[in-house]
Amino acid sequence: MKMTKEIIERIEGEATLELEWENEQVSFAKIKFFNYRGIEEILKKRPLLDALALTPRVCGICSHSHAIASVLAIEECYKSAGEALHITQKAKDIREIALNAEKIHNHIKWYFFTILPELKRVGDTTYAGNAFKDKQWFQAQSAVMQSLKMGAHFTGQWPHGSFVMAGGVTCDPLKSDLISAQGCLDAVIAFCEEHFYGMPLEEFLSFDSALQVMSSPSALSYGIDEMIKHGFDRLGRSFDRFLALGESYRYEGSLKASKTTVLGADIKYVHESLQHTFFEDKHKGYTYSKSAMYKRNYCEVGPLARLMVSKDALMRDFHRRFKDAALTRVVARAVECAHLLWRTKVLIDHINLKEPSLIPPKKDIHSLSGSGIGVIEAPRGSLIHSVVVHQGLIESYDIITPTVWNLGNGDKQNPSTAQKALIGLNSFTKADFILKSFDVCSVCTTQ
Amino acid sequence: MSHKYSIIWLQGLTCNGNSHSFLNYTHMPSFAASFDMLYHPLWCGAEDFMSLLNSDVTFDFLILEGALSHDERLIQRFNLPFYEILDTLAARAKYIICAGSCASFGGVFRLRDPEKITGALFSGKEKGGYWLEKNNIINISGCPVHPRWLVETLVALHHGEKVLLDEFLRPKEVFSYLAHHGCLRNEYFEWKVDSKQLGEREGCLFYEHGCLGPMSHANCNKILWNDISSKTRAGSPCLGCTEFDFPRRALYETQKNMSLPQTPFGISKRAYYSLAGVAKSFKIERLEKKLIDEND
Repeated sequence: MKMTKEIIERIEGEATLELEWENEQVSFAKIKFFNYRGIEEILKKRPLLDALALTPRVCGICSHSHAIASVLAIEECYKSAGEALHITQKAKDIREIALNAEKIHNHIKWYFFTILPELKRVGDTTYAGNAFKDKQWFQAQSAVMQSLKMGAHFTGQWPHGSFVMAGGVTCDPLKSDLISAQGCLDAVIAFCEEHFYGMPLEEFLSFDSALQVMSSPSALSYGIDEMIKHGFDRLGRSFDRFLALGESYRYEGSLKASKTTVLGADIKYVHESLQHTFFEDKHKGYTYSKSAMYKRNYCEVGPLARLMVSKDALMRDFHRRFKDAALTRVVARAVECAHLLWRTKVLIDHINLKEPSLIPPKKDIHSLSGSGIGVIEAPRGSLIHSVVVHQGLIESYDIITPTVWNLGNGDKQNPSTAQKALIGLNSFTKADFILKSFDVCSVCTTQ
Repeated sequence: MSHKYSIIWLQGLTCNGNSHSFLNYTHMPSFAASFDMLYHPLWCGAEDFMSLLNSDVTFDFLILEGALSHDERLIQRFNLPFYEILDTLAARAKYIICAGSCASFGGVFRLRDPEKITGALFSGKEKGGYWLEKNNIINISGCPVHPRWLVETLVALHHGEKVLLDEFLRPKEVFSYLAHHGCLRNEYFEWKVDSKQLGEREGCLFYEHGCLGPMSHANCNKILWNDISSKTRAGSPCLGCTEFDFPRRALYETQKNMSLPQTPFGISKRAYYSLAGVAKSFKIERLEKKLIDEND
């Protein structure tokens, strides 16, 4: 049996993809992540609030997501100790704006800095890349910056801002801050209308057919054409099984979907596996990435999952045509970005500045004992922080990141979501692109 | 116009935060006009890393992001032990720039194994990190590095200027300032008016909330982050992320000795506590009130 081992570059971090081949087709894939950093261990025995400062350092591209998941877990600890904290709508809105800024910037960065050049590379392996060269690259970089600047009005800085605290948020913005933030957001919208979607945001959001998106000239329709040209409208399909555990304004509660059937989900069915990791067996293990399953099933998380459980009309049309192929996964990020731009505009317009930003807990944190789970929808999917605290000190801290959901390792009988998407391919170049269609974050995985 | 300077960006144990922070640089076209990024791990560029590694090309800047280790079980890249890559490239670089606190001092990830995981020249504050000695290293600490700190240092070197460095080899133009300088809560600090709780515009975060602004070297509140704000402006304490001991323990609590906080950098206990005592003895009514009172 032929086996190949290749490095996956130009992702968040680095991965090694080991492919097994039979009859010129991928028969199995191992996705290996190294360079483990041990944040969960570092947090042990530290004061609980240190998690708010340290968990953002899990990941340079989704640091706000980790901060928010962490504060939700801490607030649940108070609840488990008998004090349910009241978080004002203002604080909730600011957390959502911060999270949206991170998601919007992530999707733009990923599409323009990863997907577009990688598609060129699939067609021409000598392609020299666009970074620090192409005009559109600089325009996208500017939009990314404006998106993060919008968020920094509330979070102080990105990456690694500190702005959440048990009971709310630490910032107390003025009306003028909101006007300035709205200005930044408008610049991002203008970029997306001109380059990403090729039309006004409102028009794009009114679509319910893939053909409407594909018939307007834009970076998105160009990418779709290229993906169809290389067969990514059929390749990269997985289980067609989706999960979104964190909340969203577009659906109620936690949900899962099998194809287009949407049902309620409960975090109690989440199971973390150490199979194939160095944690389980130092010698036989081959990765630092744990795996996560829902009722022992691998599910896809991320923008496509969120849009599928929210029964988004446009995404359903893409899904009807292309199922959960790489193309659908890529388009989902573009579509989600449009919704988030709109939603954030509304949030900034309607935020009630008269409410308090934070209502501090009454209980002294030094005597706090309990446990809590914080779940949010991060750019790449459901992110779970789970903490046990004793007398104010962290007993244990466990993080399940979105990449663990999508890119863990199962075995031949029960492959993971990404493994399933790779099996049957006939080239490494295609495997490389399909793996990237999941927006791989190796640093999150090896936290 | 002088020729472009070349850069290879290499990552140790990292969260990628410094790469993403760098990407927030406001004048990127101007940066790109003076520098060639021969290789960056995240973005699609022209050069293949292995060909660069195996060539004998010399280049101007090796930018290091992340904590370092000689132990190949802790870190590897491209299926090679990390030290092989680092030693090969370091020998061919004119300058080595440590972007962020991990590459400078070991940072957060050093805590897992301080014996084996370090910065380039320092392990915490102790000299002797990945290397014992090396005379072409500049540390630009911070978690993350500010894009202007990094780019402006590169540009100054590109112009052939001498960059003055402090005892931790950090550029003095950035690190002679304290995060405290330019903080909007300075007046509350002067009159010792504590912030009653987080989430408000009023009060100083130094007395109860762990703010390390008066002892942390960085010009955060001079040049601001993302061109608009900073931790303290968003109501959060400075975490001291540019210092060799980042992250300290209990970051949201002020460490006190006999109920007195640590003194600001370079101020004697006698001077600080005498002045603090006097300031505290006055009750300044304006500072006890809300900054903007809607009922006034």
